[in-house]
Amino acid sequence: MPDAKLPLTLMLFLPFASSAATALMPAGARNLVAWLAGLTALAVFGLGLWAAPEIYAGTVLRAQYAWLPEYGLNFSIRLDGFAWAFAMIVSGIGALVVLYARYYMSPDDSAPRFFAFLLGFMGAMLGVVISGNLIQLVFFWELTSLFSFLLIAYWHHKDAARDGARMALTVTAAGGLSLFAGMLIIGHIVGSYELDVVLSSGRTIVDHAMYPAALALVAFGALTKSAQFPFHFWLPRAMTAPTPVSAYLHSATMVKAGVFLLARMWPVMAASDYWFWVFTPVGAATLLIGAFLAMFQQDLKGLLAYSTISHLGLIVLLLGLGSPLAAVAAIFHMINHATFKASLFMAAGIIDHEAGTRDIRQLGGLYRAMPITATLAMAAAAAMAGVPLLNGFLSKEMFFAETIESHVDSAFDHTLPYLATLAGMFSVAYSLRLIDQVFFGPEATDLPRKPHDPAIWMLAPAALLALMCLLVGVLPTWTISGFLSAAVFGVLGALTPEYSLAVWHGLTPALLMSVVALGGGTLTYLGLKDYLSGAVEGPPLLRRLSGKRLFERAIAMLSWRWARVLEELLGTNRLQSQLRALVVIMVLAGCWPLLAGAGFSPAAALASVGVWLGNTWLSPRWLTSSAPMVGMFDPALLLVWAVGVACAVGAAWQAKYHRLVALILMGGSGLATSITFVWYSAPDLALTQLLVEIVTVVLILLGLRWMPRRDELIPDDQLTSARLRRLRDLFIAIAAGCGVAALAFAVLTSEQTATIGDEMIRRAHPEGGGHNVVNVILVDFRGFDTLGEITVLGAVAITVFALLRRFRPARDSFAAPDQKRFQTEYDSTRYAPGKDPINAHYMLVQGVIIRLLFPVICAMAAFLFMRGHDLPGGGFIGGLTFAIAFILQYIAGGARWVEDRLVVLPVRWIGAGILLAAATGLGALLFGRPFLTTAFRYVELPLFGKTPMASALSFDLGVFALVFGATVLMLIAIAHQSIRVYRTMEKASVREKAAARSRGDV
Amino acid sequence: MTAAAIFPALPLFLPELLLAGGALALLLIGAFAGPRSTAFVNGMTLLLLIVAGALVAMQPEGRTIAFNGAFVVDGFGRFMKVLALIGAAGALMLSFDDFRQRRLSAFEYPVLVLLSVTGMMVMISAGDLIALYIGLELQSLAIYVICAFDRDSTRSTEAGLKYFVLGALSSGMLLYGASLIYGFTGTVSFAGIAAAVTGAPHSGVIFGLAFLAAGLAFKMSAVPFHMWTPDVYEGAPTPVTAFLASAPKVAAVAITVRVLVGAFPGITGQWQQIIVFVSFASMALGAFAAIGQHNIKRLMAYSSIGHMGFALVGLAAGTEQGVYGVLLYMAIYVAMTLGVFACIVSMRRNGQPVEAISDLAGLSKQHPAMAYLFALLMFSLAGIPPLAGFFAKFYVFAAAIQAKLTLLAVFGILTSVVGAFYYLRIVKVMFFDEPKEALDPMPGAAKLVLALSSIVTVGYFVAPALLNVVAVAAAKTLF
Repeated sequence: MPDAKLPLTLMLFLPFASSAATALMPAGARNLVAWLAGLTALAVFGLGLWAAPEIYAGTVLRAQYAWLPEYGLNFSIRLDGFAWAFAMIVSGIGALVVLYARYYMSPDDSAPRFFAFLLGFMGAMLGVVISGNLIQLVFFWELTSLFSFLLIAYWHHKDAARDGARMALTVTAAGGLSLFAGMLIIGHIVGSYELDVVLSSGRTIVDHAMYPAALALVAFGALTKSAQFPFHFWLPRAMTAPTPVSAYLHSATMVKAGVFLLARMWPVMAASDYWFWVFTPVGAATLLIGAFLAMFQQDLKGLLAYSTISHLGLIVLLLGLGSPLAAVAAIFHMINHATFKASLFMAAGIIDHEAGTRDIRQLGGLYRAMPITATLAMAAAAAMAGVPLLNGFLSKEMFFAETIESHVDSAFDHTLPYLATLAGMFSVAYSLRLIDQVFFGPEATDLPRKPHDPAIWMLAPAALLALMCLLVGVLPTWTISGFLSAAVFGVLGALTPEYSLAVWHGLTPALLMSVVALGGGTLTYLGLKDYLSGAVEGPPLLRRLSGKRLFERAIAMLSWRWARVLEELLGTNRLQSQLRALVVIMVLAGCWPLLAGAGFSPAAALASVGVWLGNTWLSPRWLTSSAPMVGMFDPALLLVWAVGVACAVGAAWQAKYHRLVALILMGGSGLATSITFVWYSAPDLALTQLLVEIVTVVLILLGLRWMPRRDELIPDDQLTSARLRRLRDLFIAIAAGCGVAALAFAVLTSEQTATIGDEMIRRAHPEGGGHNVVNVILVDFRGFDTLGEITVLGAVAITVFALLRRFRPARDSFAAPDQKRFQTEYDSTRYAPGKDPINAHYMLVQGVIIRLLFPVICAMAAFLFMRGHDLPGGGFIGGLTFAIAFILQYIAGGARWVEDRLVVLPVRWIGAGILLAAATGLGALLFGRPFLTTAFRYVELPLFGKTPMASALSFDLGVFALVFGATVLMLIAIAHQSIRVYRTMEKASVREKAAARSRGDV
Repeated sequence: MTAAAIFPALPLFLPELLLAGGALALLLIGAFAGPRSTAFVNGMTLLLLIVAGALVAMQPEGRTIAFNGAFVVDGFGRFMKVLALIGAAGALMLSFDDFRQRRLSAFEYPVLVLLSVTGMMVMISAGDLIALYIGLELQSLAIYVICAFDRDSTRSTEAGLKYFVLGALSSGMLLYGASLIYGFTGTVSFAGIAAAVTGAPHSGVIFGLAFLAAGLAFKMSAVPFHMWTPDVYEGAPTPVTAFLASAPKVAAVAITVRVLVGAFPGITGQWQQIIVFVSFASMALGAFAAIGQHNIKRLMAYSSIGHMGFALVGLAAGTEQGVYGVLLYMAIYVAMTLGVFACIVSMRRNGQPVEAISDLAGLSKQHPAMAYLFALLMFSLAGIPPLAGFFAKFYVFAAAIQAKLTLLAVFGILTSVVGAFYYLRIVKVMFFDEPKEALDPMPGAAKLVLALSSIVTVGYFVAPALLNVVAVAAAKTLF
C-alpha cells in the first residue's frame, strides 16, 4: 500500500483551505473564486482517481493523526470502496455544480461568500464519508448541517429562505445530536470509536442490551438527515436555496448522508428484526407519500424535492430489508439518483433562470424555445421514472425484485411488491407531468422573460450528467460495474452477493412490475391532468397532513406554552416564594436519605424513622447514662423550656404586625436559653448569653422606631387565601423545625469520641493559670483568634456607624407614634400650651433609678472583669455590662441629655482596645517568647485581696475596651436618629413650602 | 500550630496571600487617594490576578498538603484556580468600560473581586470543612455586595439583597450539614471523613451529605437551588453577571468535586444519586425555561443552569474520566461564557445598556465581526461541532456512558437539542431580523476578551491535546 497519508489529508483539507481563502477575497472576484472552487473540486476528484487502482484492488487506505489520545480517538481518515465512491460523487458533482453556479448566480450576489460556503460544505461532506471514527463522523455531520443552513439562507433577505434554513438546521442538527448519543453508545458497546474496530465487531452490537437504544438514536439522526417521513418537511422548505445548492446538497450529497450512514452501519447493525421494523415501514411510507405529493406540486423544484424524498425512502426501504442483495440495490440507486436528480435540478434552475418562473402551470411548450435543455431534462426525467435503457431502470428493477423476496415473514412484507408498484406508478406520473406540462402543450405567453437555451457552460454540467444516465443505462457492465462493485465491497466485504447488471434479465416478475408502473403511471397522469392544471395548490388527500404545520405547532408548544407553564410553575421573582421553595426542598432533601435507605417506599421510610428515633431515644446508653442526662427530665427545666418555646412561637406569630411584642418574646426565649446554660453548669456562657440578649434587644428596640409602617389590613376578599398561605407556611415551618431539632438531637446524643473540651479543661490551670476555662481559652489558648475577632467586632461597629450616619428614616416614620400623639392631645386640654409635660416627666421615676444605678453597674462591670480569670466573668462580659450602663442612660435621658453631661468617645475605646490587646501579645516577644504567650501569678492588691494577675488580664482589658466601644458606638449611631429626624423633617417641610410657593407663583 | 509549621506552607499559599494582601493594599490606596485612583486599582487588580495565575501555574506538580491538611495544593486545584483567575480577569476587563459609561467606576469593585477570588482559591484548595466554609463565605460575601453595586438601581439592589438572603440560608444549610458530618465522624478533614465513612454509614452522615450538597448546589445554581439565578443575573450590572457566570461557578464545581470525590469515596453510590438527580433537573430546566426568555441575561442564567447540569453529568460518573470531563467542561464553559458576556456587555444603544434579545436584531449588518463571533459562541454553547462546546459535551457524556449512566447521557443530549433551539433563535435574530438602530461600537477590552474566547472556542479542535494533557494530569491527582 502506498503512503496514503498526504493525499488523504489533502483530500479532506483542500476544500476547507480553499473555503477560507475564498472567504477572504473581494466581492468582485467572481471568476477567480469560481476557478478556485472548481479546481479544488477537480483536485479532490483527481486524488480520488489516483486512489482508484488501490480501491479497485479492495485495499482500504488510512491516515491517522493523534487527536484525543486519552479517549483512544485519533483523527483518522479511512477510504474504502464505499467512502471512495461517495467521495467521487461529492467531488465530481461538486465540480459540475461550481461550473453551473458560476453562470447561475447573478453578479449582484456575493460570489466569495457563496463559494466559500459551498467549498466548506464540500469539505464537511467529504469528512462525513471518509471519517475513520464515529465521533469524527458526527463532527462533520453537524458541520454539513451548519453549512447547509448558511447556504439555504444565502438569500437571507427572503423570509422563506430564513424560515427554510432555520427549519432545516433545527431538524438536522437535532438529528445530529441524537446521532452523537447513538455513536457514544455504539462506542461503549464495541469499546472503540474507530470505524475499523466497529465494522469488524460482527454481532456484538446487535446482541448487546443497549442495541435498541443505539438503533433508535442512530435512526433518528439518519432519518432526519435523509428527510424521511415524518421528518421530511424540511426538504421542500429548503428549496428556497439557490438552485445549485439544491442540485448539490438536496439531491446528490447532504440528504444522502443519512442513507450513507445506514449503509455504513449496515454490516454490524442490520442483522436484527428491529432494524427491519424501523426502516422498512418508514422507507415504504416515505416512498409512497413522497411520490404521491410530488405529483401535486406546482413548483418545479417542489416536485423534485418530493421526488427526492420518495427516492430516499426507496433506498431506506432497501437497506431496511436486511438482505445483501437489497443493500447492493440501495447503493446502486444512491449513485443513480445522484446523477439524474442533480441533472434535473440543474435543468429546473435553467428554466427558472431563463423563463423567470418555476410554476408548472405557467410554463408550457418550452421545447421550441430551449430544445437542448428540454432533451436533457427529458432524459433525466425518464431515468427518474425508471424507463428502460436509462440508469434509473436498472436499480428500480433490482428494487422490484427485492420487494418480492420474503424477508421478515409478515403481512407487511407480502404487501411490499404492491406498494412498490404503486409508488412506481406515481413516479412515472410525476415524471411524465414534468416533461409534458413544461416542455409540451400550448406555448406559454405570459412568462416574465423570453426563454431560450442558456450559455453552453451552464448546459454542460447537466448534459454530462444526463449522458451518464444514458451510458449507464445502456452499457452498465462497461461503465458502472467496477465503480459499483468497489462501493459494494466497501460495505459488504465478504458478504458481497452475486448480482447482475444486465439490461435484460428475461421475463421476470420485476419486469412485469415495471410495465405495470409505466402503464399505470401514464394513465394516472392522464386522469389527473385537468385537476393539476387547475388552481388547486397541493394534493387532494393529505393536504392537511403538513409536516411543516406539525413542526411549527410543536415548536410553538415547546417554545411558548410549555416554557411559560414551566416558568409559572417554577419561576418566581418573589423572595418569599423563593425562600419557601428553598425550605421545602430542604425538607424533602432531608427526607431523601430516609427514603433512599428504605428503598423509596414511604411506609418503609416512616418505619425507619420510627426505628431510628426509637434507637436514639430509648437506647440503653441513654437510659443508663449518668449525670448530665438525668437533668433533662427535671420538670422545672422542662417548664422553662415550655416557656421558651412558647415565647419563640409567639415571636414568630407576632413578627409581622407587632414587632415590639415579637421582640420582647424573642428576649423571653433567649432568657430560657440562658437558664438552660445555668442548669448545665455553664455560668460563664449563661452570663454572656444574658448580656448579649439584653444588649441586642435594646439595640433592636431603638431601631424599631425607624422601621417603615406596615398596613395591617388585609382586604376581605384576600383574607381566606392569606390564611391558607399562612397555614401552609406553618406546616412547612413545623416540618423544617422538627426535622432540624431531631437531627440536632441525634448529633447531641450520639457517641462522642474524645473531644478537645477535655483537653482544654485539663490544661487550663496548669498552663493558662486560670480556673475559668472559657476565659483561658479566649485570652490565652486561642488568644490569636480572639484578637482577630475583636478586630472584626470593631470593624463591624464602625461599619454600622458609617451606614447609619447616612441613614434617613422613611417618611412614614417621621410622625410621633399614635400613643404619644394621643397623650399630647389629652395633655393639651389640661396644661398650658407650650409646656411639654410628656417629655419632661414620663421617664421621671425610671430616670432617677437608672441614674442611681450608673455607678453600681460600672462597679459591677469592673468586678466581672477582674474575676474573669478564675470565675465567670472576663473582658467580654465586663465590656458588655459597662455598655449596658450607658445604654440605660440613653434610654432614660435621651441622647442629648446624656451627651451634654458625659463625653463618650467610643472610637477611641475601640482603638485603645485593639492596641492594648496587640501590645500585650507583642510584649511576649520582649521576653523571647512567641507572640501572645502569657505569664501569670497571684498578687496581693491592697483593696482586692489576692488577685490573679496574668498578662492575659491586660489582653482581656483590651477586649473589655473594645467590646464596650463597639456596643456604645452602635448605640450612638441608632440613638442619633432621633436627633436627626427633626432635622430631616425640617428640611422636608422647607422643601414642601418652597414647592407650594413655586406652585402659587405659577 | 507553631511558626515552623506555618512558614514552610507559605510558598504554597503564596498566590492566595498575594491576592489577599494586594486587596488590602489596594483598598487603602483607594480609600486615601479617592476616586481618581480607580483606574490604577483596576489595572493593579488585573495584574495581581495574572501574577497569581502564573504563581499557581508554577507551583510544584503533584499533591502537597499545608496547614495540617486544611489546605491542599494539587493538579486539580491548580487547574481550577487558573480557570477561576481567568474568569475573574476576563469579567473584570469587561467592567472597565461598562462601569465608566454607567458612572459606576469605583475602586471598591476590583477590590471586592479580588477578595472574592481569594475566597474561591481557598475554597478550591480546601482540605477540610472549615477551610471550605471560610473560602465559600469570603467569596459569597464579596459577591453579595457587587451584585448590588449599582446602588441607584432598584433591580441591582434587589438582586444583591435577594442573593444575600437566599445565600445566607444556603450557607446555613451547608454549615448544618458540615456539623452533622462532624458530629457523626468526629473529624472535619476530608481525608479523615473518607477514612470514617465507608460501607453502610450512619444515616446522620447521609443527612449531613445531603445538606452539604444542597449548600454547594446553591453556589453552583443547580436545580433545585437555582431560583436566585435569573433574578440576580438580570438585576446585577452586566459585568458583575459575567463574573458570576464564570469564576464562582468554577470554584463551586471544584469544591463539590473535591468534597464528594475526596471525602466520600466510600459512599459513591449515595452521592451519585444526588448528583444524577440534580444534573437531570438542571439540564431539563435550563433547556426548557430558557426558551421563553426575552432578556438575554435571564436567558444566560438559564443557560448557565443547564451547563452546570451538563458538567455534573461528568461528576455523576464518579470516575477519573468523569472528573476529567468536568475539568474540561468548566474550562470550555468559562471560555465561551466570557465571550458571550463580552458581547452582552457591548450591547448599548446611544450609551444606554440594552438587554432584550430583540435588541440584537440585524447585528450582522451593523457589526458583522461581533455578530459572527457571537453566533459561533451560540453554536458552541449549543454543542455543535467543530466548536469547543461539542467536545465539552462529548467528554462528560462519554464518561457517563462508560459509568453505565446511559439514560442520563441520552437525556442530556436530548436537552441539548432543546437548548440548540433557543441558541439558534439568537442567531436568527442577529442575522435575519430587521435591523433596529445600530448598537454602539464594541469597547477595546471587550473586543480582546471576545477575540481570546473565540480563539479557544473555534481553535480548540485543532489541538485539543494542549488543554487535555493538563486536565488528565489534574484529574489524576484526585484519585
